[in-house]
Amino acid sequence: MKITQEIKDKTITISLNGELDASSSVLLDEELSKPEIMLFNKVLVDCEHLNYISSAGLGVFISHLQRFEDAQIKLIFFNMQEKVKNVFEILGLDLLMTIVSTYDEAMTVSNE
Amino acid sequence: MPDQIKLKKYLIFIAVLSWGLLVGSSLLYPVKIGQSTAATSLTETFSYAIKAVFVLAVFMLQRIRVNSYKGLDLLGYLWKLFFRGGITAYVCAVLHFGYQWAHHYFTGYEFYLSTTLYALNFGFFVFFIAKAFYIWHELLLYQKTKALVFEWRLFEGALFVILLLSLFQLDFLDFIFIPLQPLLAIFVVFLSFHLKWVAYVPGAKKWRVILLLLVILASTLIFIKIFVDLHLNTPVYNTFLDNPFIRLITLFVVLYPAFSLLVAIFSLPTASVFEQKRADLLNFQRLTQLIQQGEDQAQVFKTFFESAVNASDTDAGWLELLHEEEVEIVETFNIAENSIAQIRQEVQSPVASNLDYVNNNLDNSQFKRLRLPYKSLFVTPLRTAQRTFGVLYLLKDVEQGFDRETINVIRTFVSQTNLTIENLQLAEEALQTERYKEELKIASTVQESLIPKTFPSDSWFEISCFSQAAKEVGGDFYDFLQLSEGRIAIIIGDVSGKGISAAFHMAQMKGIFHGLMQDNLEPVKFMVKANNALTHCLERTSFITSSLYIIDYKLKGIFFARAGHCHTLYYNSMTEETFYFNTEGLGLGIIRDQNYSKRIHNMHYDYNPGDVMVIYTDGIVEARNKNQEEYGEDRLREMLAQTYHLEADDIKNAVVQDVTEFSQDMPIHDDQTLLVIKFRNVQPNFSA
Repeated sequence: MKITQEIKDKTITISLNGELDASSSVLLDEELSKPEIMLFNKVLVDCEHLNYISSAGLGVFISHLQRFEDAQIKLIFFNMQEKVKNVFEILGLDLLMTIVSTYDEAMTVSNE
Repeated sequence: MPDQIKLKKYLIFIAVLSWGLLVGSSLLYPVKIGQSTAATSLTETFSYAIKAVFVLAVFMLQRIRVNSYKGLDLLGYLWKLFFRGGITAYVCAVLHFGYQWAHHYFTGYEFYLSTTLYALNFGFFVFFIAKAFYIWHELLLYQKTKALVFEWRLFEGALFVILLLSLFQLDFLDFIFIPLQPLLAIFVVFLSFHLKWVAYVPGAKKWRVILLLLVILASTLIFIKIFVDLHLNTPVYNTFLDNPFIRLITLFVVLYPAFSLLVAIFSLPTASVFEQKRADLLNFQRLTQLIQQGEDQAQVFKTFFESAVNASDTDAGWLELLHEEEVEIVETFNIAENSIAQIRQEVQSPVASNLDYVNNNLDNSQFKRLRLPYKSLFVTPLRTAQRTFGVLYLLKDVEQGFDRETINVIRTFVSQTNLTIENLQLAEEALQTERYKEELKIASTVQESLIPKTFPSDSWFEISCFSQAAKEVGGDFYDFLQLSEGRIAIIIGDVSGKGISAAFHMAQMKGIFHGLMQDNLEPVKFMVKANNALTHCLERTSFITSSLYIIDYKLKGIFFARAGHCHTLYYNSMTEETFYFNTEGLGLGIIRDQNYSKRIHNMHYDYNPGDVMVIYTDGIVEARNKNQEEYGEDRLREMLAQTYHLEADDIKNAVVQDVTEFSQDMPIHDDQTLLVIKFRNVQPNFSA
């Protein structure tokens, strides 16, 4: 699992590369728990190279969802592979989280 | 060995008899100078033979005797030799010089007295050299090699051959002995250089050894002196002492203790070094053995500290252990607590660097103002791969006290201690792991008991279950509850994560299911209440997916709700279609407020006889093969399409086998659960 981030104005884009399993979830959790993340108003998650997400990985997003909502930070997933999206859908997360197809779309959503 | 005891008795008998004969014959047939009659020649030959027999018997006896001393320490051998042999020399000396002083009181009996005395001297002398010969043999072969044993046997054999040959008293033998004797004498010198035992005498006993060697050597010289005296005064005696056997052995008996004495004296100054090295080696051994003896760390530190202090001949020192926040002084030697604090203050920064620190000239540093008597300091950390856990301080009251040699020895002790401590920790960890494994086994057994063993069997459907955890305990669960006649609740669920924490939540969920369903709730109500209940006991990153089905035979329908769990696979026997119920529904524990009720929906489906429902967890559809491909929903549906006509058990077996074949040799990475429910083709009439 490789996690990279890119900052543009008040938007941070976190790119996930590889498999998000129990051990790599810890890294992601560390990343999302950093206090400076609260300075942004959009957190974009680029899932283009995310091949697999385990329940632990989902748990990390779920645990930060409420925190981000309370701080009025938008959490948006984009470029998601079909099988990963399927996992989100089965769990019902697609209705709870914003999942869009492209980066541009993600930018407009968050600008609302 | 009784044989040896018997042999010993014979030998003693032969020795005493031959000595008696010797005395008797000397008294009865005195040999006069100048006479060479046939009778005297015969007497001479006889007396010579008796002497040879006596010598042989005494040597054989001592050979056995000394052999039985095995197990004595080095000093013990010397004591034995002196008290059992050497002392006779002094007795003989008293008799000899006493006789010389007092012989004129016995005029007339002089011949008898001197002859008996001579025989007595001879007997004691032979006895002494025999004992000495074999005792030196034991010492000579200390830490022996095969070659040395062979050389000794050769030497011993040659000597006995000479003894036997000399029986014949043949003149030409002298010609053989002329080159042989010097050769054997050189051999004696060569053998006498095997003095390893001297080095192994403990330092404290060295002086006693030297003293004993001196008196033993003196014994030999006294004997020689007596015989030289006797032969000078009265060259009458038909002597056996010019026999090469006796001469060579006497040479050996004189040379060996003489060499030993010299070596013992000259090794005195270096003995302490040797002793120290040996002590170091023993201490190393003790340190390594501590693990096997199951000792604790305190014992290791004690042994280490004592070894280091001894090895470096330190004047003061201490050993401290570094704990998280504080420093604990575990061992001290010759130093007060306030001095420790002062010294530690001075060397704080070099110690913090975690490297060895040597200061062999403390007077040139800040240290001097402490007014402590120490001139050299050596500090070294103790550490495992992870961290520094202790520091050793050693002090000496001389400058340049810690030379390279000393430091190397201490370093070796330090690394040995590090290793020992690390091994101890590993051993403890292994024990801990073993305990955890035991606990896990118990957890596994407990969880096993949570999974229903008896399935609700009814005339209107059949059910078959499969469950397999990826680890000892898992997060998958399923259960049944008969709500009323003709109404049964089936639940399946999957707790996020694996292992112990998942197993706990699984047990909780089972409790929630049995608790809430007592009230015969409809599926959505159940999910909302369950979500509420879980809010307080599920950590923020955990969630549970679950599906609850209520099969109502009266209404011929299935009522269900899906809380984020895998879609239900279904075969409709009327339309002959296989499909998934694609319904919405959020997992439990994701939203933890009243809004959850908006995210879950009641579903209803009327079943037909022959319909099949397949309920499973994601461990089935996410099973992977070598190419990291997932088993997938499509393949599962395909399997059902091919096997719907079978009985529930066979459908389950077919699916499980297909999944196993697909994920060949790959370890299962998630718990797998599979339930197959088949509504019977012929439904009995419900009488309610």
